Amino acid sequence: MLRYTLKRLWQSAVTVFIVITVVFLLMRLLPAEGYFEENYDKLTPEQRENILRSLGLLDPWYVQLRTFYASLLRWDLGKSIVYRPKVDIAVILKSKIPYSVRFGLAAMSISLVAGLAMGVSQARYKGKWVDRIFTGYIVFINAVPAAVYLIFIQLYISKTVGLPILFDRGRPISWILPAVSMSLGGIAGYAMWMRRYMVDELNKDYIRLARAKGMSGTAIMVKHVMRNAFVPMAQYLPASVLFTISGSIYIESLYSIPGMGGLLVDAIQRQDNTLVQALVLIFSTLGIVGLFLGDVAMAIFDPRIKLARGGGAR
Amino acid sequence: MSKPILSAKDVVVKFSLRGQILTAIRQASLDLYEGQTMAIVGESGSGKSVFTKTFLGMLDANGWVDSGTIMFEGQDLAKLKTEKEWLKVRGKKIAMIFQDPMTALNPLRTVGMQIREVLEMHQGLRGEDAKNRTIEILGQVGIDNPSMRYGQYPHEFSGGMRQRVVIAIAVACNPRILICDEPTTALDVTIQAQILELIRKLQKELNLTIVYITHDLGVVANVAEHVAVMYAGDIIEYGTAEEIFYDARHPYTWALLSSLPQLGIKGQPLYSISGTPPNLFTEIKGDAFAPRNPRALKIDFVHRPPYFRVSPTHIARTWLLDPRAPKVEPPEAIKAMKAKYARYAT
Repeated sequence: MLRYTLKRLWQSAVTVFIVITVVFLLMRLLPAEGYFEENYDKLTPEQRENILRSLGLLDPWYVQLRTFYASLLRWDLGKSIVYRPKVDIAVILKSKIPYSVRFGLAAMSISLVAGLAMGVSQARYKGKWVDRIFTGYIVFINAVPAAVYLIFIQLYISKTVGLPILFDRGRPISWILPAVSMSLGGIAGYAMWMRRYMVDELNKDYIRLARAKGMSGTAIMVKHVMRNAFVPMAQYLPASVLFTISGSIYIESLYSIPGMGGLLVDAIQRQDNTLVQALVLIFSTLGIVGLFLGDVAMAIFDPRIKLARGGGAR
Repeated sequence: MSKPILSAKDVVVKFSLRGQILTAIRQASLDLYEGQTMAIVGESGSGKSVFTKTFLGMLDANGWVDSGTIMFEGQDLAKLKTEKEWLKVRGKKIAMIFQDPMTALNPLRTVGMQIREVLEMHQGLRGEDAKNRTIEILGQVGIDNPSMRYGQYPHEFSGGMRQRVVIAIAVACNPRILICDEPTTALDVTIQAQILELIRKLQKELNLTIVYITHDLGVVANVAEHVAVMYAGDIIEYGTAEEIFYDARHPYTWALLSSLPQLGIKGQPLYSISGTPPNLFTEIKGDAFAPRNPRALKIDFVHRPPYFRVSPTHIARTWLLDPRAPKVEPPEAIKAMKAKYARYAT
């Protein structure tokens, strides 16, 4: 277990290193306009060159890479250029991440609890009306564009239930609708996979033996099926938790939440090269860390995974 | 003979499948006697497993016992309806083990927990008591170093060892009857003998009544005192192992025995039963085996034969035993085997 974890940790570190390097080098290919504030056209070529030199962008690429790593080690992500000129990127993120993470975690908790409960009840009463109704819900969520029901929720549900239509940091009650809206997709996802994995487990031979030894249906569900069905899902949980940071573009703009959603899109559209670089870095690192934690979680839940030799157990 | 411990009479089992009704068991009757070993043989689909599953209420959700009685300890198991009623019998009084030990255990729980679960459920043991008893049982089924093995997972056991664990689970509560559904089919030959030996040992220690479901006649000859031959959902012949092997009366039993590779003659093709088993969706008229039986009488196609008694322990469902029937000789291979046995016996 420890060996497995260390090995995966080492692999993850190498991957992060490669990703950071590749991202940095790719960013060098972006047009240089992104390093000037909005007055690019008014500058003479000499002025432009001076600005680029002062940013260190005319050095050979390996020197740039070295300075980049040196500043990363000091937790310095650089300064924004266009989005909020001369402001530390860390400062920009610091004001936005808490909103996205809080909403993300709230939505995730709702999704997990409701989604797993839904999936479990579907598997338990497979083919009965409970299963059908929830399957209908899952199909609806997956088939109908989110914009349709999200706007409906914002405009009509807010009115009928009497909840605020926009986010207001001072009113806790205004958290409800966005968080619930954000969880709808997650509920459907967790329910679908939980049902699927549980039905898979239910058809296995060991369930027949568990029945033959005289366990009740409920005991089999709780002690054997649910736990086993949760294992493949445990792998994706850490990554989902970490990715709450990136926020939800659509819902944050719908309820005007000052979160991370849409920041990356903004930064790319406005060609704020350093901000794009920092965001891509953060997201890809989070992805890798999430996968690593997922693998560790799997190893905790599944005793058959000892060391990734060959394909592993599953 | 003593009173049977379990007595199934005229059991009919039906399944509803894609809107059609299938009759899987057609009035099968069987008595089990305490401490004895019974083997049920027959080809795939003859209803061996389905029939015994009715003793534990483990039919699939689309199947049900349509009529008949299964008397066990003064109650009729065929009448049990709810899961709750069955839980007093299943795993506690009547246990069952299955063919493939590789998949029969939950891969994510320790072997110890999976045995212990049974003790906690049926005997109310808790904590250290449950653990100690589990380790004791592991030792009893021949697993070395049981206290270390207690905390291990199924993937750390070989196939034969896993089957021992499965057996440990089955016998954990001292059941009266143990049903073994092809317990050795998935194991290699050397392990097979060990598992059969283990079951025999436990039978003696726990005074178990054992039912083997198998199509391996070699296993039957090895372990069984009584043999029931099933065909198309019915028990067509029943007797002691000797009576079935050396004095079979039903043409299907003859055919089954003739298919033994050991009875083949060098240079000649092995015997196989032509045709296919009857369609269970339609009502079967007369003797179910008649269409595949070259020796079938006219009446075999019209009336279902009753049981005829050959000896106090031997019955067969064939018109050949009716006094009015013409004399029909069994196949050469069967006669040769009988003659050999007669010489051997004297």
